[in-house]
Amino acid sequence: MNEWLVFLLLFLAPVVSSIPIVLAYKSKEWTEKLPYLSVFGIFVSVVMSLYVFFVLPENQQYTYAWIPEFGINIVLITDYLSRYMGVITAVIAFFIAVYGLDYMKGDYRPSWYWFFFNLFTASMLVVVYSDNLFLLFVGWEGLGAASWGLIGHWFRDDDNITYVGKEGRKVGPLELSWPPSFGGWRAISTIRFGDVPMFLAVAAIWVLSPTLNISEIEWGTLFETIGAAGTIILFLCLLMGLFTKSAQVPFSEWLMTAMTGPTTVSALLHSATMVAAGAFVFIKLTWYIEPWTLHGVHGLEYIYLLVLFIGLLSGLYGALAGSGMLERKVLLAASTMSSIGLMFASAAASFWAGHLAVLVAFWYMAVHAFAKASLFLVSGHLIHATHSRFLSGGLEFGKKMMTPFIVTIVATTFLVGIPPLTAYWVKSAMDEVMEHLFHEVGFLPLILLVLTSVVYSGIMAKFLTLNFIKGEKPHHEHTEGGGLMKLGYALMVSVLFLLLYLIFTSEETHEFVAAGALVKHGTITLSFTVGILAFLAYIFALYKPQISALTKLGTFFSDRMYLPFVNDYIMPKIGFFVSHLVQDYGNRGIDGLFNTMVVPGLFGGISRGIRSIQTGYLSRYVNIVLGLVMFILIIAVVGAWL
Amino acid sequence: MIMLYFLILPLLAACLAPLLRPKAATYLTTLFFMLPFFSILYCIFYGCAEIHLTTFSPPIGEIYLTADFISHAFGLTICIVSAMVALFALPYMEHRFEEMELSVDGEFRKYIFLYDLYAASMLWLVYSGNLILLYIFLEIALITAFLLIYFYGYGNRRWVGQLYLIWSLIAGVLTLAGFLIIGINNDTLALKYIATVGKYAWPFIFVGMVIELPVLGPHVWLPWAHAEAPTPLSALLSPLTVGLAGYVLLRIALIDYSFIVSYRNYILAYALFSSIYAGFSVFKQTDFKRLLAYSTVSQMGYMLVALCLGPFGFIGLVIQYMSHAFGKSILFSSAGGIIAVHHGLRDVRQMGGLHDSIPAISNAAVVGFLNLGGILTVGMLGEFFILRGVVDTFLKPDSSYSLGWTGSLPIILAVILMFILSVWYGFYTIRKVFYGKPKDTKRLEISRYLYVPLFIIGIISVLLLLPPLSTALIPGLKSVIWPLMGMGGVAP
Repeated sequence: MNEWLVFLLLFLAPVVSSIPIVLAYKSKEWTEKLPYLSVFGIFVSVVMSLYVFFVLPENQQYTYAWIPEFGINIVLITDYLSRYMGVITAVIAFFIAVYGLDYMKGDYRPSWYWFFFNLFTASMLVVVYSDNLFLLFVGWEGLGAASWGLIGHWFRDDDNITYVGKEGRKVGPLELSWPPSFGGWRAISTIRFGDVPMFLAVAAIWVLSPTLNISEIEWGTLFETIGAAGTIILFLCLLMGLFTKSAQVPFSEWLMTAMTGPTTVSALLHSATMVAAGAFVFIKLTWYIEPWTLHGVHGLEYIYLLVLFIGLLSGLYGALAGSGMLERKVLLAASTMSSIGLMFASAAASFWAGHLAVLVAFWYMAVHAFAKASLFLVSGHLIHATHSRFLSGGLEFGKKMMTPFIVTIVATTFLVGIPPLTAYWVKSAMDEVMEHLFHEVGFLPLILLVLTSVVYSGIMAKFLTLNFIKGEKPHHEHTEGGGLMKLGYALMVSVLFLLLYLIFTSEETHEFVAAGALVKHGTITLSFTVGILAFLAYIFALYKPQISALTKLGTFFSDRMYLPFVNDYIMPKIGFFVSHLVQDYGNRGIDGLFNTMVVPGLFGGISRGIRSIQTGYLSRYVNIVLGLVMFILIIAVVGAWL
Repeated sequence: MIMLYFLILPLLAACLAPLLRPKAATYLTTLFFMLPFFSILYCIFYGCAEIHLTTFSPPIGEIYLTADFISHAFGLTICIVSAMVALFALPYMEHRFEEMELSVDGEFRKYIFLYDLYAASMLWLVYSGNLILLYIFLEIALITAFLLIYFYGYGNRRWVGQLYLIWSLIAGVLTLAGFLIIGINNDTLALKYIATVGKYAWPFIFVGMVIELPVLGPHVWLPWAHAEAPTPLSALLSPLTVGLAGYVLLRIALIDYSFIVSYRNYILAYALFSSIYAGFSVFKQTDFKRLLAYSTVSQMGYMLVALCLGPFGFIGLVIQYMSHAFGKSILFSSAGGIIAVHHGLRDVRQMGGLHDSIPAISNAAVVGFLNLGGILTVGMLGEFFILRGVVDTFLKPDSSYSLGWTGSLPIILAVILMFILSVWYGFYTIRKVFYGKPKDTKRLEISRYLYVPLFIIGIISVLLLLPPLSTALIPGLKSVIWPLMGMGGVAP
């Protein structure tokens, strides 16, 4: 099979297959059938990504001309990261799409949903396989546009179940409750805030480097040409794009209100696209920059320090915020932010710890993707079953919903790093990486990581117990049906076992297994200790998911430490103040000057003055003549006298 | 090559269409603009030669039609937008005439004549190889547009028409003065033979075209004209006409860049300020068409910024014109769609949730704002080239204007803010107008003319980003601009 055909199908099949449903948007009959075609489109992508994985040679570059004169080409690469991530993205999207067939049944605008869902998948695949920065940015923008469409999918804002935040909850002047259309606007406005600086960074690389292909750019030479200040500014611009997309502090708010979208969207958004895209691109860039070989470059260390700490802070912030959440999806959203933070931190640690740290970040992304997607899909099913977006459901309910119950147990335990389940091995390697930073950065990274891991473990257990074991009895129970939904998350969670197998068998990950060892040099390893701590936290939260003495702190956390004020109060206030100035003073002033008052008034005045002479009465003209004569006489007299 | 002779068709349409009934006249117009569209596409891929028309004695010199890629890029845009807006205008203008209690058939003849002449004159303007010819078409476009506002506009249309006429005349006269100085200095007005522009002609042309563009200060005529014009006219005036000032500036800059270079920092600061200023103004508008008009001012700021940024900026300017034209014609048409369907609804405060009643128009508006924001459409390339221009001019170590990374930080930040604002006001407006709690969830049956043409423009705007169109167009632009800027054809 031709490679170009493989890639064409990989990227275009999802988009093309969702065009019929767009065209048939008026027909109820067709919009019920055509989603199957859209899902089939994603399935084609899955097949193609598997083809790339198994058949195409590794580390091969495929170049197709776009604007070759300017180095903008369609350059695709099958390196380690792309091959894995491509399969992960396509498979996750496919499982979610299957689930979505059930979940989105009877929705009021299926055409919109399926078109953007498939565009979302295709865009991420472009980001994943692209080696050319411009092509990558095309996919990147596709992610932004599609996420806007999907988050604001229920644009009518008429159903409180689609909102985020508790109705009527007010802090100061702000009501902490957001409708879907606002969620969409918030997402795209935040993302755009980062995308343009990132675009500038890409343009700068375009000028300063002979190529735009990530794998071919001489990063070291590039940094040396632009010096320390240049490196820092270039990276800050680039990181703006990555941090906003990945919802790291302080750009995290959009991710919380993104939960106004359908759950399928949240699942995709949080696992394999969008927020993962930011971390993925950072991992990919780091993979090729190889910062551990560039210790001589000035400025680079500061950047990696910044990313390390932003990542760790986001990790802790997300975990803490999640600990106070009572909404199913928002709790998961906060935890995602936390996980993505750890990915950033781990990849950034590679500056000191070397290549392994990047690999750790990537594998954590993979494990997290499947686990988190499963949890989201479960919570979508629960929202359908209970008609509530808040955590609820006791053991009685859990027994009726056995499949989601089991899936949740598997996904949470596999994700939080309880030995010897999948994430434990990756987390162990991460612990070791952070421990490695002791000499250069100190103990703080490790402390933050352990803290995050413990809280994170707690909130995952809280999610489990408040939904299936100790939660309130739901007001509404609808536990039958949902076969495709169950199929979707059952398939999703089963991949975690496959990943466990891969970690033990794959050549690249043998260091993870070594890091997770119980004892080393006769003492119990740090990794194992952290694993046990996570386990204890999990058990504790399972037993006591809510502590009434800490309600105030919990509310503070669930208000996201008042970060919404930045998005919803400070920024709009500044913006509207400027708008007010330019409109009510600037525009009105200039308009008055030229169009409505001063200049027209002046012309009017002069014209009136001239016209007032022309009355037609003889006496007036005689007066004017006499006046002129008098005037000339006076001038003459004065002149003669002087 | 006979391809460029197709340009005669739009002029012919102006003569023939008034003889027909509205529907036939509209189809004729569309056809006669689409044929040149395809012939220009042919030219882009296979090239075609310029056409000599006649030669006058100095200082006018040779009159000919250019056939370079800059003209093609502008011409392509003008053709497709004019053709599609003509289709959109069919139900819209019929509705408007009924509203004004005029006879539909009779008025349509007048209207279609003015419309065709207006659009054709813009098309000819960008192919004019002689400044005097260019000026003539500029004035024809101006007068036809004035008449359209005067006859069929909204509100105090006569006053607005005059306002537009006066401002444009000032711009036109100043430009003409500049052209005449060029003619006297060079003994010719044929673009390819003009050697210098000189320090006397440049200020006239610059000021004239900056009024026409417009930027902050003279920009106040534009919201009036664009808001009160009949919508099909707004959908040409804002996307096509004002941007032509950018075209003229580009042509002059390609002959002699010295004026811009000497005042680069001032012009750039002014353009950036103007664009950001207008961007902020958008948030406060209550009239949907006025809102779009301020967005035009902001986008035209992009063009002036691009003009200051050297050869890469020039490519950015051309693409920015295209992308803005696509986006804004879609947006004005969707504003027109709302007016037609919702009985003259223009007040943004009374909108909200309109997506439910007119999903097709709402989705078209999204495509329009994606164009303005440069997301997934040809505008992306425009933004990319403008950003590259910034880096090339101010950051490249070997550039003679290099300010270094820290020195050029204010410029970088301002350009970034300028680009961000477009998306901000775009999606803010979409939410305010189309989303939220709907007042009426009934889907209205609306004429296909009101939205299908908009999606065709949208599809073209996406196709232009992708190969093979961008593969042919961008190197073509380079092949025109690079030699004129004294740069070799080698890859940078």
